[in-house]
Amino acid sequence: MSTVLRIAREEWRLWLRSKVVVAAALIVAVLLAATSVLTVNRVAEEQSQRIEQQIAAEQTFFAQPDRHPHRMVHYGHYAFRPPPPLAVFEPGVDAVTGQSIFLEGHRQNTAMFADTKAAADLGGFASLTPAILYQLLLPLLLIVLGHAMFLRERESGTLAVMLAQGQSGTKLALGKAAALLAVIAIFMIPLIGVAAYSVSLGESALAATSLVAGYFLYLCIWGGIVLAASILLKQRAVSLGALIFVWLFAALIVPRFAINASSAVIDAPGKIESDLVMLAEQRKLGDGHNAADPAFMQLQAQVLEEYGVETIEELPINWRGVVASYSEAELTELLNSYADKRMELEASQSHLFGLFGFASPTIAISSASRTLSGTDLATHHRFLRESEDLRFGFVQALNEKHATDLDYTADINRNNGEEASRAARINANAWQVLDEFRFEPDSAVQRMDRAMPSLGILIAWLIAASGVVYLASRKVRL
Amino acid sequence: MTSPLEARSLSLVREGNTVLDGVSFTVAKGEIFALLGGNGAGKSSTLLTFLGFLDPSGGEVLVNGKSVGSDVAGARNSIAYLPEAASLYGHLTAYENLDYFLDLAGKSASKDQINVALDRVALPQEARTRRLQSYSKGMRQKTAIALALLRETPILLLDEPTSGLDPVAIDEFHDLVKALAEGGQTVLMVTHDVYGACQVADRVGLLRHGKLVGSFAAEKGQRIDTETVHAAFAGRPHFQTDAA
Repeated sequence: MSTVLRIAREEWRLWLRSKVVVAAALIVAVLLAATSVLTVNRVAEEQSQRIEQQIAAEQTFFAQPDRHPHRMVHYGHYAFRPPPPLAVFEPGVDAVTGQSIFLEGHRQNTAMFADTKAAADLGGFASLTPAILYQLLLPLLLIVLGHAMFLRERESGTLAVMLAQGQSGTKLALGKAAALLAVIAIFMIPLIGVAAYSVSLGESALAATSLVAGYFLYLCIWGGIVLAASILLKQRAVSLGALIFVWLFAALIVPRFAINASSAVIDAPGKIESDLVMLAEQRKLGDGHNAADPAFMQLQAQVLEEYGVETIEELPINWRGVVASYSEAELTELLNSYADKRMELEASQSHLFGLFGFASPTIAISSASRTLSGTDLATHHRFLRESEDLRFGFVQALNEKHATDLDYTADINRNNGEEASRAARINANAWQVLDEFRFEPDSAVQRMDRAMPSLGILIAWLIAASGVVYLASRKVRL
Repeated sequence: MTSPLEARSLSLVREGNTVLDGVSFTVAKGEIFALLGGNGAGKSSTLLTFLGFLDPSGGEVLVNGKSVGSDVAGARNSIAYLPEAASLYGHLTAYENLDYFLDLAGKSASKDQINVALDRVALPQEARTRRLQSYSKGMRQKTAIALALLRETPILLLDEPTSGLDPVAIDEFHDLVKALAEGGQTVLMVTHDVYGACQVADRVGLLRHGKLVGSFAAEKGQRIDTETVHAAFAGRPHFQTDAA
């Protein structure tokens, strides 16, 4: 056995013979297992529920009887975002952004089941999940295990004996690093299990492996920081105190500061706030329900000219349907411009937040973790865009039916009794215009591309931590 | 002939304080040289420079004729070091400790060989499978000496080796050190125990405030006179001294 492995083995023997260390490891193992099982169950249940709900919503829409097409525009439809398989480990922003949207004419509704607006959870520290345990608790356990690795030898005098046997400080550091690496490898087992489970649910092996690799990098960084402190500092208490401070700084203070700083530097209004600002502009577009609204006079002139007729009654198409379609397009353009602006600001906040990864590896791993799991802000934004496309598509298709399949005279007389109302309906087959909606996570390659900056920051952290350990170990003194 | 250990005008300054100031001595093969001095005299620092743990500010130390500064690994491979606290792992048994540290030194020993070494230092059989945290200072010291024996190095550095030992254990220890020297091992020990140094050493060097102020050699077949050394140690005038 090489000297490095022998040193690592003895470190392990010490840990295993220390009841405190074994107890701490057991507590964390139980916590990790319990949290993983609970999260896996919850997310798996949510996933099947939302897929079923999506199918049920479509069946309900298709099952509607003959109706006036605009009633179906307001009857609306639901779009659900099932959690991706890796959400069993990293629910990410899902818990706070909402996972379903009610889609209807003239509106872009907020995603429902949201605790707060999307931008508020840039940190993703809302609840105890396996990802949070890996990001926050495991570094603490590494600190408990490793803060005295070198100091213990120095304080007990065994460092002198070890060095006197002809071993270099670098070799001792490598041995200690190998011991910590073995601990980290054991920490990775539950994550590997969850990743394998997510692959069985259809997740890409590349994304799952990248997630495991990202957390391995992250814990190695903490291992390096812990080892460096143990070599450089002179007392156990100082080492423990300093490392706890570093942990508080990296895992709690910087993320909190980063969230506030990102929000302060880039002011992204929430959905409701933007809607209020947008309302005034929306009014200028005219009311699509009122075909006589002066806002549509120019449109009316154009359409009459196009068809070569004098009055809207002479048109071969239903003028009210034309107005509804035109109005919806104008309104959607306005809504989209606000939504795009808001999402751009949120994405900028998220980007700025990610740059704080240079000050805290916890931020870098949390960003990479959400991205690789498909539970990041960008994925939520894509859901909003795709569900909006779905909404606009079926609303405009219904407006088209309104214009082409429903007689104008019957339409304007629809409130003149039961028979007139029935005459203003179209066949239920028209509801088939609704497209099937199945929200899928981004491809693994796309997620990898997005996660690269955060993974790059983690690699930079690891190089820096390893460099400090190496330089410190070369100058090991009694 | 090259001396196994040699200090040439060795000086050491730490944090602005002069710890050693122009110390020179040699220790011949098979010789026991005791550096005697009070607290802070620079005894342990002298040992640590031979191990390359401290870099001299001036002069040099040589092990087997080679400067330690240019070949630390070579020096450490030739030296077995016994620190004052007999520092070994409390959570390991004597067997486990010896196996581990021998492994670090690039040596291996069978359980029988380890038992022979432990027999030589008279560590009780029943204690050998117990963890060192239950050992007395003397038992730990014996285990550490067993490590030195097993390493079979030509040089032995001992830092206050009898500190905390009872008189019987001290006598046993001195006998062992003498036996090692007779076997050809070179021993440099530092101590503030005048009686012990005179009893075991072939030569005693007196270190005061970082300077080697005197040296006393034993007559053939006799011990160094304790009274003379004690007088010198206490700073009384007119003591007899040999050249260092």
